[in-house]
Amino acid sequence: MANRDVSLSVWQGHVHAIVGENGAGKSTLMKILYGMQRPDEGEIRVNGTAVTFRTPGDAIAAGIGMVHQHFMLADNLTVLENVVLGSEPRKGGVALDFGAARKKIIQISDSYGLGLDPDVTVEDLGVGARQRVEILKVLYRGARILILDEPTAVLVPHEVEELFANLRELVREGLTIIFISHKLDEVLSVADAITVIRRGTTVASVVPKDVTARQLAELMVGSELPSPETRESTVTDVVAVSVRGLSVQSPEGRSIVDGVDFDIRKGEVLGIAGVEGNGQAELVEAVMGMRVAGGEIRLGEHDISAWPTLRRREAGIGYIPEDRHRQGLLLEAPLWENRILGHQTRRPNVRGFWIDRAGARKDTQRIVEEYDVRTPGIDVDASALSGGNQQKLIIGREMSGDPVFLIASHPTRGVDVGAQAAIWDHLRAARAAGLAVLLISADLDELIGLSDTLKVLLRGRIVADVDPRNVTPEQLGSAMTGAGEAA
Amino acid sequence: MLQNRFGKLAAAALAGSMLMGAAACGGSEEPATSATAAAPSDGASSAAPAAAGAKVGLAYDIGGRGDQSFNDAAAAGLDKAKSELGLAETKELEAGNGETEAAKEERLRLLADGGYNPIIAIGFAYSGSLKKVAAEFPDIKFAIVDDADATGPNISNLLFAEHEGSFLVGAAAALKSKKGHVGFIGGVQVPLINKFEAGFAAGAKAVKADIKIESKYLSQPPDFTGFADPAKGKTAAEGMFDAGADVVYQAAGGSGSGVFEAAKAANGLAIGVDSDQAKTAAADLQGVIMTSMLKKVDVAVFDFLKSFADNTVKAGTTSYDLKAGGVDYSTTGGQVDDIKAKLDEFKQKIISGEITVPDKTS
Amino acid sequence: MSGPAKSTFADRLLGRVRLRGPVVLVAPILAIVFAGLITSIVLLITGDPPLDTLLLMVEYGTRPRSIVLTLNSATYYYLSALAVAIGFRMNLFNIGVDGQYRLAALVAAAVGGAVTLPAPLHVALIIFVAMVVGAGWASIAGLLKVRRGVSEVISTIMLNAIATALGAWLLNKDRFAVEVSGSNNIGTKPIGASGQVPGLELIPGTTSKVFGLIILAIAMGILYHVLINKTRFGFDLRATGRSESAAVASGVNVKRMVLIAMMLSGAMAGLVGMPQLLGASYSYSLDFPTGLGFIGIAIALLGRNNPVGIAFGALLWAFLDTSSNILQLHEISPDIVQIMQGTIVLSVIVAYELVHRYQISAGQRRVSRQLASATPTQAEGASA
Repeated sequence: MANRDVSLSVWQGHVHAIVGENGAGKSTLMKILYGMQRPDEGEIRVNGTAVTFRTPGDAIAAGIGMVHQHFMLADNLTVLENVVLGSEPRKGGVALDFGAARKKIIQISDSYGLGLDPDVTVEDLGVGARQRVEILKVLYRGARILILDEPTAVLVPHEVEELFANLRELVREGLTIIFISHKLDEVLSVADAITVIRRGTTVASVVPKDVTARQLAELMVGSELPSPETRESTVTDVVAVSVRGLSVQSPEGRSIVDGVDFDIRKGEVLGIAGVEGNGQAELVEAVMGMRVAGGEIRLGEHDISAWPTLRRREAGIGYIPEDRHRQGLLLEAPLWENRILGHQTRRPNVRGFWIDRAGARKDTQRIVEEYDVRTPGIDVDASALSGGNQQKLIIGREMSGDPVFLIASHPTRGVDVGAQAAIWDHLRAARAAGLAVLLISADLDELIGLSDTLKVLLRGRIVADVDPRNVTPEQLGSAMTGAGEAA
Repeated sequence: MLQNRFGKLAAAALAGSMLMGAAACGGSEEPATSATAAAPSDGASSAAPAAAGAKVGLAYDIGGRGDQSFNDAAAAGLDKAKSELGLAETKELEAGNGETEAAKEERLRLLADGGYNPIIAIGFAYSGSLKKVAAEFPDIKFAIVDDADATGPNISNLLFAEHEGSFLVGAAAALKSKKGHVGFIGGVQVPLINKFEAGFAAGAKAVKADIKIESKYLSQPPDFTGFADPAKGKTAAEGMFDAGADVVYQAAGGSGSGVFEAAKAANGLAIGVDSDQAKTAAADLQGVIMTSMLKKVDVAVFDFLKSFADNTVKAGTTSYDLKAGGVDYSTTGGQVDDIKAKLDEFKQKIISGEITVPDKTS
Repeated sequence: MSGPAKSTFADRLLGRVRLRGPVVLVAPILAIVFAGLITSIVLLITGDPPLDTLLLMVEYGTRPRSIVLTLNSATYYYLSALAVAIGFRMNLFNIGVDGQYRLAALVAAAVGGAVTLPAPLHVALIIFVAMVVGAGWASIAGLLKVRRGVSEVISTIMLNAIATALGAWLLNKDRFAVEVSGSNNIGTKPIGASGQVPGLELIPGTTSKVFGLIILAIAMGILYHVLINKTRFGFDLRATGRSESAAVASGVNVKRMVLIAMMLSGAMAGLVGMPQLLGASYSYSLDFPTGLGFIGIAIALLGRNNPVGIAFGALLWAFLDTSSNILQLHEISPDIVQIMQGTIVLSVIVAYELVHRYQISAGQRRVSRQLASATPTQAEGASA
């Protein structure tokens, strides 16, 4: 059972944060609250009345709405259409009454300051606006209690601020918000009450003003915490990776990555800061050979610009992709098969033409142990693991086969504090082992703490070089938006 | 059950003779089961319990009884025999689309095993399977329509001179066409239907050498839907009428009703095939059918059954041509009465050999 | 954010997602029982006694000769389903198996009829030609997808129609065909004795022979299993099917895989007509069986792309086909069997989906239970 003896009391008109490591049982708890899973024991009361949810429909009827971390929107439909999808307003039984729906949407949007135009297609909206569409969707269905599952994971700092302003607006109107997160600073700044979950049970209920982020994190993990700072420099003089004039164009001919140059030396972590969507993903894919690009990429003494992805990997590039579900794992395959992914030409996974099942399994067992992947075995599907453990498996895999260059794209995104610390340790270990590391992240603390060198990417160009030793997240943030020169 | 009884004997020769044993065994069991099954379907079986009455098995091609064409003609022959000859029992099976030869073989074998004698296969598709099964059951008489390839001492091949009959309706079409423009629609482009086209074209040209003849086939083998798709027939015929034709001859089985619909809509004329379609087509369409090329499968089936009853079955080819009255044109509705004399003149010339009708399109 | 089921319904439908344990067998058995029930209801409505009808089918279907017929049909159904399954395993819907096997059989029959070679070589040549033609025809759809982004569903359906037209054009006396004298049939020149594959007398109690090429079908099943599950190529293929984006990131050249998978599927499709051609008809003529490619799709779904599952699916399908022969003799519409086949496919899909959902939640519960009970010490150690 993922949850035992969870007790949680949420006050109306509160932002109630639930924090915990991944795999701690937050998701299960939320699924129970939203009727996607049924509890074996215990009860849920809404406004004092005991309720039983068999389906999300029951939860919605009781006024509970869920905003998922992964948006569930149809890109090519308008805001209006997305909102009414599944609860279409009827006029005279059959005809769709879009007029009434539009009115209601505008009214909700205005009263909570969501600022949404019902007739814009979702694909034209930014991430923050899409999230507000999700919120609008549940408000439209009459929710008075909103569950937000890691809502800030996909947002950049200023969008987070906007979201928090929206949340405060909602609370002021008497709505209740259950806010799931592991970004403790955010939790502390927005929540009225905090419940900490660890290993499936509630371990503490605290008020923000009584705790620091560090104390909160220690409650979550149940022990003391590391920090992202790297200690002494391991940077050498040997250039391991050299990129010159790297350019990527969209199919329409727009420049996405525009003449990017950088060198990474052995033992160096190069951090790339930038608001998401400024070409980071394309830059990484170009370096990996997954995308057509101009310019030159050298790995050691080889010009690898024309090499296919597989050959680059064989030459010693390890790759932690930004979206582990889409690019890093075969979710429906067992762990040992995932060990082979990306290494399907190398021992111990294969022997010539044949898959070496025994060898791959043995090495998967090694990774599970060395990288502390918490799993009952290597035959479970990757989808059964929590995000942090999936990520640890990926890192363990990418670190095997003697890489010389590691690309880490948002390595701790959506990962709990405990796994985050472990991942930072592994990245530091990689650096100490003399790897060149390219780190892309939206977590500014992580970037500043881990990088030896920082570059800011804006609209596909490197616009600033920043020294991580004397820059604050605020300065870096403003450089990322192009607001001014960083210190 | 059989498997257990004979399980240990595997030698081929023994198995061969056993099969006969099995057939005999199946035969003796059969009446009990099939009588109950057949009884509700028609009462004919009980009407003629005479020992002389035959148990007739009929294997249709795709479409079966009710296709308003080829298979129905065979069914008509069977029905006639049933009432006139007093058949003990009849069993009609039909083919499925795209089936293998093994399935056809099995169908014939089931009939043979069930004690049916004689067995008639409708359509050339049964050629290979009939040949095999007939060899296994030398005491049973088989007949096959439209095929001369399957031969044997107990096989009668019932062949038709479709080109000769088509010649006559071709001539009729040319005589009736005001615009000098006629059309031919074949169901599927197979050699058999080619015969219809060749005869039709020759007949039309015999009347008017410079007549315009359009030809179209609804589908190509192995796609046999052209024999059973009225919508396709309608579209093709509409195209011809639009292009200026005023008489269209169809040799397209079940698709023919679409041709008639198009003819009606375009105020044109159509020529039916196989049966006298001015009688069998839907009532509102009968008026557009000026004549039909009769392929008297019913006569052939009846004759064969009659010869069986008389014990005068002749193995090998029986040719149903104009001379033998196996093919002809129909006069139902009186639309060709005015040109009947000319048509009968052509008929005599063909019978006398003065005109040789080509059976292939050049 | 631990991922729940991220597979799509299509993934599960096409068996790209593994199912484990005894439930895997429970699903199809339930489905068959359910299909039997539906069929019985239909039989009741049409006024036929359901139990007697089913017993009749079983009695007839288990006669030695029927078993031979069943095995023979199952042989080409199996090959057809394997061809479809290769595509399914990597997310390709090769609807064109039908056109591929017909064209392949036609060309192979023409080549086989035109030459005379020593026996094993002659057979090998015909089979080789069939595979090449099948692969070549399928590669058109592959190339269109890779180069132009044309959905293989659409292109293969169109290629089926083109194969029909091309076949009709080729099956002409000016080209591949010879006239069978006295017959209204038309076909390729019969393949000589050296190119024929003798049947096997496997079933006692009948002289009917099982296709010799049933051995080829079994070998192909084993080859399919080994290729998909044991080789690097198979891993890449499965990875692409499960997640194209992950396959790209892992260095798989997806375009190349699409083309190769399509050609393998086509080569397998080329074999579909071989048991019939080399074991029974020896010539491609107008009455060569059609539609086997579509039956293959249903059977691949039934067998969830698993070589053993497909074998059972093919045998079941063939058994139903064969036993339907007896129905007409008893004045029962053989269409009842088609209802049964359709119901089985639908209920199997539903049953697998239910089983899958049950397994996902059971699996996640199991993982969290094991972790909850086993990891306290490990967890402390890990984060220290």
